[in-house]
Formats: sequence, C-alpha cells, structure tokens
Amino acid sequence: MTRSLPIRIGAYTLATVVSIFFVFPYLWMLSASFKDTDSILTAPLQLIPETFNFDAYRDIAVMSGIPLSTYIWNSVWITFASTVFTLLTTGFGAYAIYRAPNLPGFGLLRVGFLLVIMYPYMLLVLPVYLVMFQLGLLGTMTGIILFLSVGPIQFFLFEQFFRSIPSEVIEAAQMDKASEAKILLRIVAPMARPVVMTVALITILLNWAQWFPILVISRSTDTYTLPVALLSLNSELGVNFQGIMALATLTTLPVVVIYLMTQKYVIEGMISGAVKG
Amino acid sequence: MKLNALMGATALALCTTTASAQELVVWHDLGDNGIAWFDKMSEVFQKTNPGVTVTSVSFPTDQWYGKSIAAINTNTAPDLIYNNYERVIRVVNQTGKIKDLTETFGAMDDVGFLTESDIGVATYNDEMIILPVQRVQMGFGIRDSWLDAVGEEFPETWEDTIRVAKKFVEEDPDGNGRADTYGLALQAANPRDLIHMLDLYTFGAGLRHTLIDPDGEITIDQPDHKAVLIEFLKTFTEYGLVSPDTITHSFPEMYQVIEGNRAGMFRVGDWNVKKWDTEESLNGDFRIGEWPAHINGTENAVVIGGMRGVAVPENAPNLDLAVEFAKFMLSKEAQAASLQNVGAAVRGDFEIEGLSERRLYFAQPKHTLNAYDFPESVHSFYPELEAEFHRELVEILVDPQDDWDAYVEELADRMREKRDALMQ
Amino acid sequence: MLAQFKLGKSTVFYLFAAPFALLTIVMGLWPIALSIQTSFTDSYTALSPDPVYVGLSNYIKIFNDPVFLKSAWLTLRYTLIAVLLNLTIALFYAMFLSSSVLSRGAWLFKLCCFLPVVTPDVAGFIVWKWMYSSDFGAINAMLNAIGLPDFGGVSSVQTATIAILIAEMWYHVGFYIVIFLANFAMLDKSLDEAAMMDNAGFWRKFYKVTLPQLRPAITINMIYALIQFLKTFTVVVVITKGGPGTTTNFISYYAYRQFDQAQYGTATAMATVLFAVIMVLASGLYWYSQRRDWR
Repeated sequence: MTRSLPIRIGAYTLATVVSIFFVFPYLWMLSASFKDTDSILTAPLQLIPETFNFDAYRDIAVMSGIPLSTYIWNSVWITFASTVFTLLTTGFGAYAIYRAPNLPGFGLLRVGFLLVIMYPYMLLVLPVYLVMFQLGLLGTMTGIILFLSVGPIQFFLFEQFFRSIPSEVIEAAQMDKASEAKILLRIVAPMARPVVMTVALITILLNWAQWFPILVISRSTDTYTLPVALLSLNSELGVNFQGIMALATLTTLPVVVIYLMTQKYVIEGMISGAVKG
Repeated sequence: MKLNALMGATALALCTTTASAQELVVWHDLGDNGIAWFDKMSEVFQKTNPGVTVTSVSFPTDQWYGKSIAAINTNTAPDLIYNNYERVIRVVNQTGKIKDLTETFGAMDDVGFLTESDIGVATYNDEMIILPVQRVQMGFGIRDSWLDAVGEEFPETWEDTIRVAKKFVEEDPDGNGRADTYGLALQAANPRDLIHMLDLYTFGAGLRHTLIDPDGEITIDQPDHKAVLIEFLKTFTEYGLVSPDTITHSFPEMYQVIEGNRAGMFRVGDWNVKKWDTEESLNGDFRIGEWPAHINGTENAVVIGGMRGVAVPENAPNLDLAVEFAKFMLSKEAQAASLQNVGAAVRGDFEIEGLSERRLYFAQPKHTLNAYDFPESVHSFYPELEAEFHRELVEILVDPQDDWDAYVEELADRMREKRDALMQ
Repeated sequence: MLAQFKLGKSTVFYLFAAPFALLTIVMGLWPIALSIQTSFTDSYTALSPDPVYVGLSNYIKIFNDPVFLKSAWLTLRYTLIAVLLNLTIALFYAMFLSSSVLSRGAWLFKLCCFLPVVTPDVAGFIVWKWMYSSDFGAINAMLNAIGLPDFGGVSSVQTATIAILIAEMWYHVGFYIVIFLANFAMLDKSLDEAAMMDNAGFWRKFYKVTLPQLRPAITINMIYALIQFLKTFTVVVVITKGGPGTTTNFISYYAYRQFDQAQYGTATAMATVLFAVIMVLASGLYWYSQRRDWR
C-alpha cells in the first residue's frame, strides 16, 4: 500500500514530535549538567551549552562523606550480584516448577510468588527491615542483594521459555535413562542461552534502578547506590541544580547505553515476561 | 545451599566486626561539614581513648528520623544520635529508649557556659535527653549588592521589608535585564518546614510562642500573634514576593533559589555561612541581621531555632564509651572544631581566628536573641497538635482567603478543639 | 525400585526449587505476613518484643481519618484517569507506529518511547521535577517561547495532578505501547482486508475488527497499569511530597509518611487495604479475561 507524500511527511512529523517528548528530558539533563548557573537562567532551552563546565561533576565527587566511586561501585556490585543470583534462583525454580508442576507445594509456591508481586512494594519497608534484622543482614550488601533477587518478570520469562521446549525432547532423553543433571546440562542449558541473556539484561536494567529497598536495608551511607544517593542529595545544606543533573546523568547513562546496544532483546524480553504474567 | 552458606558467612562477618573494634557510630544529618567535624573529634578523642574510632554517618533529615526510630526499637541502635532537640524528643516518644543523662551531666564540672534555659531545653519529662552541643542561630540575610542597587538600607520593620522586597522583584537588582528575582526565599513542602518558617517570623518579631503557650492556651488569635501570622500567610499568597513554586519547595529548592541568585532575602543559619562565603556560592555578598519587627515595642531578634545535642540510646552497643564521647563533645577542642566546621557551638571561651565578619556574627553574638519556646517539652501532645496546624496551613495556602482575620479566628477555635481532644 | 526412582527425582526438583522458594518466602511472604500482623497491633508497641494486639482498631481509625478517605479517593480517581489515558494513548500510538505510513522509521520511534521504561525512575522524575520548576525549568520557557501562558506545574492545585500524570505517562506509556505493538504484529490481516472490501469506515473497522483482536494486550496492560498506578509512589516522593496541600497525597505515600512518624499500626493497615484492593481488582480482571474466549 503506498501513501501520498504529504501524509507520510505528516506522519513522520507527528512521530518525531512524540519522540522528542520521550527524549527531551535526557538531553536537557545532560546539557544542564554542563552549564553554568547563569546560562541555566538565561537559556533554559538551549541544549548545547556555549561552554562545557565540569564543575558539577567535581561537586559530586564526594557526597555525604562518601566518594562518588563508592556509590558507583555499590551500584555495579549490587546489580551484578543480584542479577547472577536472580538467574540462578528463578532459573532453577522455574525449571523445577515446569518439570514437576504437580509436586506438593509447587502450586502454592507459584501463588505465593504472585502475591508478593501485588503487595505495595514501598510498604514492605518496616517488615523487610525486621526480617533483615532477624537474619542479621541489616546494613549488609548480602541483605540488599538477596532482597533484589526476587523478580517477577524474570520468573515468567523462564517459565515461558521452558514451556516452549517440545516435550518430546525431554521425553526422548528420559527414554535414554539420562539423569536429571544430564537433561539439564546437555539438553536444556544450551537451548536456554538466549533466554538467560534476556533475563540477565532485564535484571540488570531493573536492579540498577532500585532505590527503596536499598535505602531501607542500609544502616549507613556506605551501601548506598547511585539512585539512592540521588534521592539523598536533599540535605539541609543544599546542593546545586547542576550537581543533581550530573548525578542523574551518571545514574542514567549506563542503562541507556546498555539499552541502545541490546534494545531488541530488552523489548522482546519485557513483552514476553509481561504477557506471561 | 548457597543461600545458607552466604547467610552464615555474613552473620560471621557481622559478629567479628561488632565484637573486635572499639568503634563508636554516630548518626546525624549535618552532611559533609558534620562528617569533617566528627572526624576531627575522633582524632582528639583517640588521644585519651586509644584504639577508639568514631565513625559518623550523615543521613538526610527524614531518613535520619525513620532510621533512628526503627533501629532503636529493634535494638540495632547506633552508639549516639545527634540532631535538633525537638527531633530527639520525637525519637524519645516513639522508642522510650533514650538514656537519661541527668546524672552524667551532674557529675561534669566544666559546664558553666550552659545557661539555665539551655539545660531546660535539654530536659523532657524530667529527664535530660541530650547534652546541648550547638545553639542553632538563624538570622535574616539580605544580598548586599541588591540593597545598594535599589538604594535601600537593611530593613528594620516589616513595612520596610515589604518595600525592599517589592523593589527586589521589580527593579532588577541583579542587573541582568530580566524580571527573574524574588523578594524572599521560603519553603512549605514538608510538615516541619512551614511551621519552621513561621517560627522565624514569630520569634524574630520578639513574640514568645508560635501556637501554644506553656499554660496550654492557643496563642494564634492574640492580636500581635494574629498580625504576624496573617502577614506570614500573605507572604506566601497575595504579596507575590516569593517564587510561585514555594509551596512545593523544601530545603534543596529553597537553597537553589538562594544560591542561584534569585532571592534577595532569606534565612541564614549559622551553618550556612561557611559555604555562602565561598566564591562558588554567594561569595560573601550578604549581610546578616535581626528578623524584621512587626510590632511596636517588641524587640526583634535573631532566632535561636533550637539546640542540637547528642543523645545516647539505652541499647547503644558501647554504652559507657558513648557517654564518655557525649561528654567530650562539650570540651574546648570539640567545641572549637564544631564552630570551625559547622559554624555553631555552645561555648565561646577559646580563641577564634580567621573567621569572616558574617561568621563572627554568629560565633560572638552581640545581637538580640530570642529562643524557640520548645512546646514539645511542656506538652507531650504538641507534635500531634502541630501536625494538625501544619495540615490546616498547607491547605489554606492553596486557597487564599479574602478575610484572613476571620480565618485565623476560626483556625484558633479548631486548634483549641484539637488540643482538648488530645489532652484527654 | 520405581518408587525410589521417583522419590529421587522429586528430591532433585525440590532441590532446584529450594533457593527460589526460600527467597520467595523469606523476602516476600514473611514480610507481608509481618506487615499484616503489625496492622493489628498498637503502633507504639509494634516493634517491641511483645506487641499489644488491638484487633481492628487501626482499621477503624483509618476509615475515620478524613485525610485517609480523601487520599483513597484521590488514589482511585488518579488511577482511573491514568489507566484510561495511558492505555488510550498507547493504543492509538501503537496503531500509528504499526501502520504502513511509517514503515521504515517505526523502529526508531519505538526505541524512543521505550527508553524511559528502562531509566531509573528516581533519575527520570528528578529531571521532570526541575523541568516543571518555574525558576529554572524548561517547560514554562518552552510555553513562553511559543507564546502560551505559564503552566502551573506541580505548585498549583489545579495542575499538580496533571503534571504528575504527564511525568508518569512519560515513564510508563512506552511499556504499554510496546505490548500493543506486539499484539498488532499478530493481527489477522485477512480480517482487515475483508473489512476493506466491505468499505467499512475507520471507526467501524476499529471497533469490529481491531479491538476484539487486541483483547490480550488490553487485558495485560490493564492489569499492569492498575497495579502500577494504584501503587503510585516514587513520583510523589520525588516531585510533590503529597502537595500542594494534599492534592497528590496518594495512599502509598500517605502510608509511608505514617511509617516515618512511627505510626506503624495505621500505616500497615493502609498497606493491607491497598493490597486487598489490588488483589481483588487484578485477580478479577485476570479471571474475567480467562473466562472470555477471545481467541
């Protein structure tokens, strides 16, 4: 079907305007982090600063007595460790439930998991605090990482993938008297590589953004990540606007880069994770 | 399996850290300046207490409050907590586990610099819940160059203040050719913020109570109080002297307005001056004075907005050492470090060098001082009453009245009802 | 022999599922149970070793609290508007993106609209907060540049909810768009062509042919959006703090504030009420969608 040129131009214009709505905040944030105070006031709309000013990045080099590098390291480590942990626990969990859905307790487990997703996250504050306290994990990275390893979309993604494996494949292996370990390692694992990739990507993106559980479980600013630092910049001593934008830029940049490089997996992964839920 | 191993390992790691080191942990909200101050104190404290380190953690105020209460309630308290007196009272109310320091204080000799009223402030329900460490002074600041630009002097009365503020809005005092300046910087977003701003107006005008007097009488509809309250409400609404966003401003936004050179008049806390003297900030282009006088015959003043002090949770991991450190915070060295790093102290019997005129203003006060009345320490129901008061004020700021007088009368009646309900 | 083999097998699966089960119970179900338990205790004793149980009194208290009732109403109204707005816009934008006019550029536009979904919400909302600022922000500057009057942003009662809606839409709508796009890709083209033959008008075709086929996406989006907006929290923490006045004081935020003031009993009672509402709505929708045969 061909359309006339004016219609096409109109359509592209509309889509461009809508896309600017989505992208503008990033550009504005980035440019504000390099502007000096005066040009923020005089030209709030100018996206390319006349002079690049790195003061804001210097201002956030130490926040609440903690160097920026610590926040970055915390973000990276918490994201990495919780992603690995999520992959292992939900991967094996979903696999077990898929292979043996009728084992006593597995049905309940699935329902319990669904309940957890529906509870207002932010109001787990106090109970999570208590749980961490009773486990002796308060203020520890371990506590934070374990809590972040409960992921709904990840579970559904795995579940959906396992369901897509033709049952003949596994039945054939069973006929050959292959052990469960062998079935998993030789047959399922190689097929699962793409789904593991997708889940890993999505978990990285989701957990990088986490702030509330980290804020609650932490007992000192030593375990704060970038988003938590961003939220904590409102001390009574004030911090400048450019500093906030600089920190927001640092918080956003890694996920934007990862997203742009892997967008196809991310979007498709999110869709199939959601569709299953 | 992995999970258990991990948990075991962490539990082990946790035990060793708490058992081995003599580390005192302090939670405060004073940011980088506070951390530098505690580091300095830790250094000095080590000389008399070898092997002891003091680690301070600075949280934003709201996080400090929630974390302190939860930690003390679950017996995971830090060794010391440091904050404004009225915030410590709330912690006392919600935990009941703050150590009474009356005996400790009684046994100290070098405390002559604390006045009767300082000690009164530190006392709640007949228990000394903090050792007072820093008086919090808050003056009225004005951009020097802006005053020159509009040809005015530092205003004394409220009428002067409004006139100058109007000129700041209209006459482009920063000379950048744009109408982007405000008369005043205020804030109203958080429950405490708005009342806090009202405290400044009220005590700065020489009045003694914001909402309720020690006898439990609601004061807001007494003529003088009413006049100040109405002017306060009008500043936020019809006068057009503040940023239109003020109603959603909290500390960071208020500071942004001040430090972004948008407002000519603002609160100056003793802890602000160090930063505002630097080139990156206001570069010292501001003068500090007493708050404007609203009423004839009452002396306007710089406001003592509170007392910061150190409190020791009863379940502090190193209770005795924590008390030792609390006492140490009143020593000359600790106080000098306090003045140097945070800009406030309770004693001044030491050499002060190299302070700017503006820092000396607070370090060696020669102006009239009027202190916050600490209704929390008299009426245990005050926090709830105040929360209600705040709720009313926030609602009315977005719904300006024609007849403010009648509104304040009605508000006073509602406050009386609330008080009666709370007292039962 | 056979029985033994089976036992061995289920042991393997139990072992596989154990870490996952442990995590779900310890980090999910246990806190929820604790939270519900707390809602029946007196706030002051809630954290002490032996809390005092007060029955339903926290629930009675919150339903007599005018601020909570207003907050509940605000939350419901906001959710309703947000769900309708987001899904409608997402539906039409997805339809637009999947139409043949945009054949080659569509992937780029899709990329843009999904970008906010993966952005840390705190960072995104902080940027919006400052964009709304009348002192430093871009929004009023932009409106002024094209000769429009100022937008009150988050500081006026009239516009605060709208401002929050826009910021939240920026953050969430890409997700709904992408779900719709996936559904559009699966549409049966022959039905479309049949409708063309019939010379059916756009709306008629949309209503009779497109919409029924979009049921899966609509259901999924509806469930997600409902849960999402009923729980609205971060945007309020970052941008409005419940204000101006109590205009954006949604339940999650109000309950969180209660927490902060150590009102543990009433805070968890509010959480439990919200949980119940979400559970009923989500499972109702799910059940409804399963019951209807829309394939």
